[in-house]
Amino acid sequence: MSAILEVQNLSVSFDTPRGEIQAVRDVSLAVAEGEVLAVVGETGCGKSVLCKSILKLLPDIARIKEGHILLDGVDITGYRERDMRLLRGKFCSMVFQNPMTALNPSLSVGAQIAEAVKVHRPRMSRQDVEHRVVELMDLVGIDHPTERQKQYPHHLSGGMRQRSVMAIALAAEPRLLFADEPTTALDVTIQAQILDLLKEIQARLHTAMVFITHDLGVAARVADRVAVMYAGRIVEIGTAEEVFHDPRHPYTWGLMRAVPAFARGRDSLYAIPGMPPVLIDPPKGDAFACRNEYALAIDYEEQPPMFPVTKTHFAATWLLDERAGGLGVRAPAFGSFREKNDGMCGEAQRSKVQRNKAQDAKQSLSADTASDILLDVQHLSHVFPLPGQENLQAADDVSFQIRNGEIFGLIGESGSGKSTVARCIMNVYKPTDGQIIYQGIDVCDAKAFRANKKMLQSTRQIIFQDSDASLNQRKKVCDIIAEPMKLHHVKPPRGTYRAEAAFQMRAVGLDAGYLDQYPAALSGGQRQRVAIARALTMEPALLVADEPIASLDVSMQAQIVNLFQHLQKEHGFSFLFIAHDLAMVEFLCDRVGVMHGGRLVETGTVEEIFHHPVHPYTRRLMEAIPVPVWCSDDTERRQNR
Amino acid sequence: MRRYMQTLGKKVFLFVTSVLLLSVLVFYISRLAPGEPLVSYYGDRVEKMSPEEQEWARARLGLDAPIYVQYIRWLQNAFQGDFGISYKYKMDVTEVIGGRIVNTLLLGGTGFVLIFAFALLLGVVCAWQEDKLLDRVICKIGTVTGCIPEFWLSLVLILIFSVGLRWLPSSGAYSIGKEADLADRLRHLILPLFVVVISHLWYYAYMIRNKLLEEVRAEYVLLARMKGLRKSRVMFGHCLRNVLPSYFSIMAISVPHVLGGTYIVETVFSYPGLGTLTYESARYQDYNLLMILSLLTGITVIFCNMAAQAVSERIDPRIRMEDQNRYEEVERL
Repeated sequence: MSAILEVQNLSVSFDTPRGEIQAVRDVSLAVAEGEVLAVVGETGCGKSVLCKSILKLLPDIARIKEGHILLDGVDITGYRERDMRLLRGKFCSMVFQNPMTALNPSLSVGAQIAEAVKVHRPRMSRQDVEHRVVELMDLVGIDHPTERQKQYPHHLSGGMRQRSVMAIALAAEPRLLFADEPTTALDVTIQAQILDLLKEIQARLHTAMVFITHDLGVAARVADRVAVMYAGRIVEIGTAEEVFHDPRHPYTWGLMRAVPAFARGRDSLYAIPGMPPVLIDPPKGDAFACRNEYALAIDYEEQPPMFPVTKTHFAATWLLDERAGGLGVRAPAFGSFREKNDGMCGEAQRSKVQRNKAQDAKQSLSADTASDILLDVQHLSHVFPLPGQENLQAADDVSFQIRNGEIFGLIGESGSGKSTVARCIMNVYKPTDGQIIYQGIDVCDAKAFRANKKMLQSTRQIIFQDSDASLNQRKKVCDIIAEPMKLHHVKPPRGTYRAEAAFQMRAVGLDAGYLDQYPAALSGGQRQRVAIARALTMEPALLVADEPIASLDVSMQAQIVNLFQHLQKEHGFSFLFIAHDLAMVEFLCDRVGVMHGGRLVETGTVEEIFHHPVHPYTRRLMEAIPVPVWCSDDTERRQNR
Repeated sequence: MRRYMQTLGKKVFLFVTSVLLLSVLVFYISRLAPGEPLVSYYGDRVEKMSPEEQEWARARLGLDAPIYVQYIRWLQNAFQGDFGISYKYKMDVTEVIGGRIVNTLLLGGTGFVLIFAFALLLGVVCAWQEDKLLDRVICKIGTVTGCIPEFWLSLVLILIFSVGLRWLPSSGAYSIGKEADLADRLRHLILPLFVVVISHLWYYAYMIRNKLLEEVRAEYVLLARMKGLRKSRVMFGHCLRNVLPSYFSIMAISVPHVLGGTYIVETVFSYPGLGTLTYESARYQDYNLLMILSLLTGITVIFCNMAAQAVSERIDPRIRMEDQNRYEEVERL
């Protein structure tokens, strides 16, 4: 097997006014013909930059400082745009993360695919091109290709668009395909379909593939080999079997433990503490040292070299050095935390059972009085009138209750009406039909709403998905957090608004030093914490979070979900948690509602929904949950080995 | 087809009502403005007239009735194709305008075409050469010249090229007795045309440049490049294609701006076009003339706006009314 792609000691930097960002540092890897290499790591670890620098798709401020890129044995490091053009599409191609923005909105899908077909075969007749387009659309599983090719991207769903992007990428039968988080922006069920499709096409066309993802579950599903990246470096590389079953680098351990399925039946999700470093001035020694609980003194001084574990498996950690006393050679940590977890498991299970019991008792006590119900949504319907005769039924006869101090999860694909329900509850939309009773008040009734306006507005709070857009960019963090109090003329219990903001920030795990920062200076996870702090200042009785973790990394997701759990325990508010990540919902929630096409198809406790789903749609959802190999039943097989 | 007729009918209805509304407004406001319309008809003689004679003159011109009566009378005549006479020129209004409109069309029309052709060219060049020397030089020149007020620029140009160098005429549209001489007309056009173009060009050039740069940074450009397309193909086939609809509609919407600019330039250069005519008619209460000139301008503006919408609907599938794109709007919420 010869290497189709070889990267040797590649370093890529961005020249910015703030300094030089060393996005990729001394990376070496090789991909063989027909092989799938998954590159995993958190956001900002240089995965995308690595891939785009190979394809020379980076903006002008990026430059390759060192190293060589060899495609099929030919050094393309110094290639210019003109030379690359001949390789792109034909030799290597790429599938992008967001199918919503990757297609040109004003050209029909067929035209865009045809363009990719024609570039490398300019003499092809029009019939042949059209024939080929249909063939390609067929290949990527788009039904009715002849009709579909005349449609524009906005006519297609996310999954269909991603398939179209794949058709474009495959048009000239490239030998090497890059896939940059191709499923991250998609729903769980669609995600599984696209992954299977990619895998199937890859096998059929014998294409080599570099698959970038932050989701280890996804990586485990497609990869032959896995490279783990951190702070611009590859910290571990090996076959999928080796990396997932015998990981050696502490960062890999952390990533694997952060997968929510791993936390099944446990008290809290594991989260790697802290964040990846900013690469303007990379820390001395191992960049991961400060987040590493297994860090040795030398980690802070010297960058570890790649230690071979087997012939194909390498990891850059001092734990593998013989001076570390064979600590890492046996790689006890992963095994030991598994055992430790198994121990914890029982304990945690017990505590959850106890909690459930307590709740059951509470429920049976209050079932007759019904005073325990905080929010009662009755036959809620919402219709968006569309120009013309049609209407869009976004929510259709939705009924559910949220009790005091309960975490209610609402799951479903995008477009299933989850957000519409949330917005109706928050009085953003006026429902077409039905009632929403909050603490005995019908919030949809204009008169009742006016009478209780202050209470309703201050005790219900919402957190949005996109913290980037939901925080005012021109306001300081401390003003953002204190704003609800100012609006409602609440006297700050800790003296000043500033002190109050500082207190709330500490409560959500943010350093008070960020008080005078603007949101742009914070990372996604930190911004979401600010949004949570803002919601909590009013001591809400009901907190609605609309996909609060969807735009975050796996490890950040775990941090935020842990925070939610902790805060809910502390404040005791009722919590409506909307998500499409089922594993997180299973971990966090007490009861769950499943939405599909505007209807609430099933409600029940987590146990019922996740282990005994009744509705066929719920079953389909549950089957689509990716269960990483190291969390599933074959652990026994591994332990016996 | 039925749908098409419906849309068309709707547009025609909107058009007619807007024009009617406009005529009411202009009619009313022009009569509220202070000034003596008789002066424009009788000139200095008005001062020597007795109040009775003035009364009689007013009645003769139909200015004694209440404004709404005057308006209805005007409307009735207008529907029969009689727009009244110009007080100042003692001629049929249409004849007065007919004599001038060619001049304005020549100046405004050529100016308009040049502005948008050059703006497109400069915009594309700048976007192509982003942040390179050429781009920066063009942008600097644009910022400086874009700031100069039209009337001042006109005066300076007259000072240099007409008074100082004596290369070009300073006013008028043609030399006396040379009405049919094209070369002569062009010589008269150069200065006003230059001012009209230079004062509007940069705004639109910048717009094209920035819009193109926005598009160039979009992700679909990466995919297009990934296909192996040439830069020119990506620029013209993808980016420019997405920018053009908004450019066309802005072009149409900007007609009044350019027209307004032309009017100012006409006044400074004493260029016998509609601009000078409008200015005079408003200044001397030449009601009938003002009415038609305002309506003409208004109709152009309304028509252009509608054309703008129609153009963008044709090119950009996202705003085509009969499409299902509304679904997406809602879905995105």
